[in-house]
Amino acid sequence: MRSDRVRLIVSLILLVAAIVAMLLPGGRQAKGLARLFSRIKLGLDLSGGVRLEYKVDIEKGVENPAAVVDDVWTVLRNRLDSAGYTEAVVKKSFRENNSFIIIEIPDATDTTKAEKLVGSTGLLWFGQAIDERDYDPTVNPDDVNLALREGAQWYADKNGKKWYLIKKEINNRKDLVLVGPRVVEAVPTIDQKGVANYVVSFTLDRQFVELFKNITKELYVPEQVLNAGTTQYQLALKKRLAIVLDDKVQFVGFVVSPIEDGRGQIRGNFTFDEAKELAAILRSGALPARLEKTTASLVSPTLGKDVLQQSLNAGIIGMILVMVYMIAFYGIMGIVAAIGIIYALIIIFGFLAGTGAILTLPGIAGIIFTIGTLVDGNVIIYERIKEEIRAGKTPKAAIEVAFSRSFWTLFDANLTTIIAALFLYYFGTGTIKGFAITTIVGIFAAMFMNLVFSKFLLDAMAGAIRVRKAGGAQ
Amino acid sequence: MKIDFVGKRYYFIALSIVLIVVSLISIFTKGFNVGLEFIGGSELVVKTSENYTVADIRSKIASIGPEFKKARVIEVHAIGQAEEKTFSIVVSPKDEKGALRTYKAEEKGQIAAKVEELLKGKVVSFNEVSGDAADEIKNLTWKAVVFTLLGILVYVALRFKFAFGVGAVLALVHDVIITAGFYSIFGVEMNIAAIAALLTLVGYSVNDTIIVFDRIREFGRKYKGKDMANIVNDSINSVIIRTINTSLTTFFTIFMLLLFTTGSIKSFAFGMTIGVVVGTYSSIFIASPIVIRWVKSI
Repeated sequence: MRSDRVRLIVSLILLVAAIVAMLLPGGRQAKGLARLFSRIKLGLDLSGGVRLEYKVDIEKGVENPAAVVDDVWTVLRNRLDSAGYTEAVVKKSFRENNSFIIIEIPDATDTTKAEKLVGSTGLLWFGQAIDERDYDPTVNPDDVNLALREGAQWYADKNGKKWYLIKKEINNRKDLVLVGPRVVEAVPTIDQKGVANYVVSFTLDRQFVELFKNITKELYVPEQVLNAGTTQYQLALKKRLAIVLDDKVQFVGFVVSPIEDGRGQIRGNFTFDEAKELAAILRSGALPARLEKTTASLVSPTLGKDVLQQSLNAGIIGMILVMVYMIAFYGIMGIVAAIGIIYALIIIFGFLAGTGAILTLPGIAGIIFTIGTLVDGNVIIYERIKEEIRAGKTPKAAIEVAFSRSFWTLFDANLTTIIAALFLYYFGTGTIKGFAITTIVGIFAAMFMNLVFSKFLLDAMAGAIRVRKAGGAQ
Repeated sequence: MKIDFVGKRYYFIALSIVLIVVSLISIFTKGFNVGLEFIGGSELVVKTSENYTVADIRSKIASIGPEFKKARVIEVHAIGQAEEKTFSIVVSPKDEKGALRTYKAEEKGQIAAKVEELLKGKVVSFNEVSGDAADEIKNLTWKAVVFTLLGILVYVALRFKFAFGVGAVLALVHDVIITAGFYSIFGVEMNIAAIAALLTLVGYSVNDTIIVFDRIREFGRKYKGKDMANIVNDSINSVIIRTINTSLTTFFTIFMLLLFTTGSIKSFAFGMTIGVVVGTYSSIFIASPIVIRWVKSI
């Protein structure tokens, strides 16, 4: 039949797409069959790790709360990066007029370190950079001695690639120490000098203006000096301003004019993103808002593995039971259902691998529940086929009638489950969303399997059904 | 072979009423073993190879702090974990004003270290939910429940005549109360996963009812003038195999989940397992027989 050929082709295309989605490179390291699932992203409840959620406590009357949350995000991102948590994911989330920051650290086995990073107030200070190295000078005796002689300390930059020798006391003047300045405004702006670069314009709080003026006067290096020759330049290199956050150097540069009014510009060939980041760091040496821990969870990778194994066992045994039962009860048609289960599962896993949806433990529960309900459609259709055959129709005709009559029953039956899953997705928090996702995907995979994939298999096997029935009648 | 479901309906209705009353009594007197997400606080999951009982754990951890004296300790069972015992310890740390608080970073490290030392085990999970977060989760969960129920009511109202709608809704209420009752009676944790199970159950259970009702409508048109009780009984008999088969296949998978898993997902599997059984029972024995009373014509 032509329509069956169309069904076969569509089913095969979907199958190939799903398998390709599962086998594309870029997944986790895995061997054997596990490779099939290596591209499916696992939730922290399965892979193990730390998830922290904080409510961003924004003071009333703040003009642009979203900007505050952005700043918090940048500060936390920097802190996590500089502490080596480059795998960590920091997300912003908005619910019910509240803003949240979510931090997820895969494979972490303890929350204390991460929570401390978030909890620390963060210290921003301005200092004087007098030297720099491209290697780690803290293990080089000469450099260590140099630091001791100068009364300065080596600090790594935020990427850990460069080290600067920095003094907190500008030109050794005890009255010129600027720690924890309040920056009232800092924004990335386009360089006025016509270069297609960004600069960071900032404004200090009034109480720091005088101090900053004196510091910039001390460090001031006229631009012509910079171009005057090597000796002069070498001297100027010892008079650079350094911006340090949490003991990581964020910026080092020359002061090309004294800043009298607390309004300065930092120029450094920044891209927009770099300028934005530096602006956020200036604005928020201390976090711009209080963070209140709302939920924290730690799942050790071993527990996650155990839980994954348990649920996989449950799923596999459950699936085998369903297959055996279907084949025992429906014979040939049961085999179609058993193949259908595998088909639908490949589609579901292909969808997860292809879209990057995160598979959580409730998500697996959703898939296991789906295995049980996948064949509901088959049962409904098969019972109808049996009825029609009993009523005297040929298997071919019975299959046609059963499919056309069962479509709306299946649609109805699945609609109610979709309603429940959709609201769970919308209002659900955390991992339960994973359940809603796999349930909904599972329902669509099941309907496709029931109505399209099974149809041509059944049609192809209709002969076998008839032979048995006819034999019984003779 | 034809079974007289309709003739025996009063027995089944009586059985259901007993189950509902028992459930309601348990829900209102014993209440639920409410999960961390809804009450807030901290939960430590500890694995130990020592052969401790729940009472041992309680007495050992009491010294850690005032909140540990009132800790809720549950042993977590799962198939295939014979060598190690797993315990869940739930505590509600309070601040000076008596309000629920979360632990500070250093405090958490110290508590985990102490628990590991006292129980000679390993803390495999440490979860915290603040009071505010618990309130928010409760609020959102209520919304999910209310909207799902409304959605299904609207669907039922559009789909069926009034009498069938009443039957479907009564069957749903029946299923939810009894399943919730089982949570209360067996002290299974009522957490978000459990709510997900109840909502999925609502969506799922209505399906079975729809299948029976559709058949009643079909037979009603076919055999116009026949006694309604007979039509309903014939309809139930003609769909019973498919109702049992669809439920049984679901039962197989969800029951395995109940047997093999631990923690919050066990709560989900528990509700689904009970719910599938109760839902199937109600679609066959409760939903259809009660519509006879109201339906005069199809």
